[in-house]
Amino acid sequence: MAAHNYTNWFDPIENFFDNALLPAHWLATVPARFNAWGELILSDRFDLEVENTRLKQESLIHRGQIQRMADLAAENLRLRLLLNATELLMDSVLVTEVIGVSPSRNSHTLFIDRGTEDNVYVGQPILDAEGLMGQVIEVFDEHSVALLITDSTHAIPVQILRNGLRSIAEGTSDYDRLRLRFVSPTADIKEGDQLVSSGLGGRFPVGYPVGSVINIEHNSGASFVEVDITPAAKIDRSKHLLLVFTSKDGGEVGRSQ
Amino acid sequence: MKQSGVGLALIISVFIASVLQLVPVSGYLLVLKPNFLLLVVIGWIIFRPSQWGIGFAAFTGLLADLIFRAPIGMHVLLFSAVGAIPLYLSGWLVYFSLIHRCLFVFFLIILAEFMRNILLLMWEIPMDYSYILMTALASAAVWPAIDRLLIRVNRKR
Repeated sequence: MAAHNYTNWFDPIENFFDNALLPAHWLATVPARFNAWGELILSDRFDLEVENTRLKQESLIHRGQIQRMADLAAENLRLRLLLNATELLMDSVLVTEVIGVSPSRNSHTLFIDRGTEDNVYVGQPILDAEGLMGQVIEVFDEHSVALLITDSTHAIPVQILRNGLRSIAEGTSDYDRLRLRFVSPTADIKEGDQLVSSGLGGRFPVGYPVGSVINIEHNSGASFVEVDITPAAKIDRSKHLLLVFTSKDGGEVGRSQ
Repeated sequence: MKQSGVGLALIISVFIASVLQLVPVSGYLLVLKPNFLLLVVIGWIIFRPSQWGIGFAAFTGLLADLIFRAPIGMHVLLFSAVGAIPLYLSGWLVYFSLIHRCLFVFFLIILAEFMRNILLLMWEIPMDYSYILMTALASAAVWPAIDRLLIRVNRKR
């Protein structure tokens, strides 16, 4: 255990086993695939048409919002240029699918179906439709392993959207909870506050939703308050994720799909 | 059943347990998911103690380490230590009724989960002990299927 903890002697074995385990992961997800297929087969044509119409309307709304966002982004860029601020980082994304989940309650990792062939790299942020999910920790030819933000070994620099207060959100081994570290008892933070990635450390891009404050516990005599966060992302439910490629000047690094 | 047949049954049982272990679950099902690999190890040690002992438990523990992406050696230690108990008691356990073996498995899983928590504390991984009872109950509920299957396999000798 000590050798595994302090050396990388076992990495080749683990890498080999991760590849060898892919068929078992595929087999393990057969019930879920079968369930999805069954739902599709059994769903009524009328329901599908209603859903299709709803999705088209949602798509239209989102397109409108994106146009507005593009306008705001351009305005933001002009203002930053006026202030001689650093360049904005432009992101492109690649859709990926979850092909396996760590069976351990304590290790929150996912297997995704993109690897070096798709230019995935270690440290790459992963999102779902709601917010930040985690980052890639191992990359293989055709798949990768991602560490989720709820893993107890993971921490992410965040800031409160309302006032920019910075902190670090740590995983707790609970899919529904993160915890803020080193928050002063006098800090301006309240329940319901939205947290986004602060971009400090350069690992995660700025401004992606991380979660919202659900509980603040003041312990008398303690130097810091305990702040519980519920993740924005559907950590244990999302099936399709986005790999974020960040490049300066908006250059296309990954493929947008 | 011939020796090769028993070996094949063991490999198949470990493979099925590995796949079941990898089935993704969420919410409360996470708490209710038994450690299938450990149950299979306990089963084989109870019904074939002379052939499958601590070495088999340690090897399956290594497999569990790789499947769980845990520090290598953690489950080796855990499976070996937990496997030693049914190995020592196997002479009596085979004469127990199914209910008694379920109870035995229930307490063994509680012990295993406590040991796992203690080992995880070495990596400062915060633990929630409240789930242990549910996991042990789920394991005891699954045990009759494993028990009947292994009895059937070993009866064909």
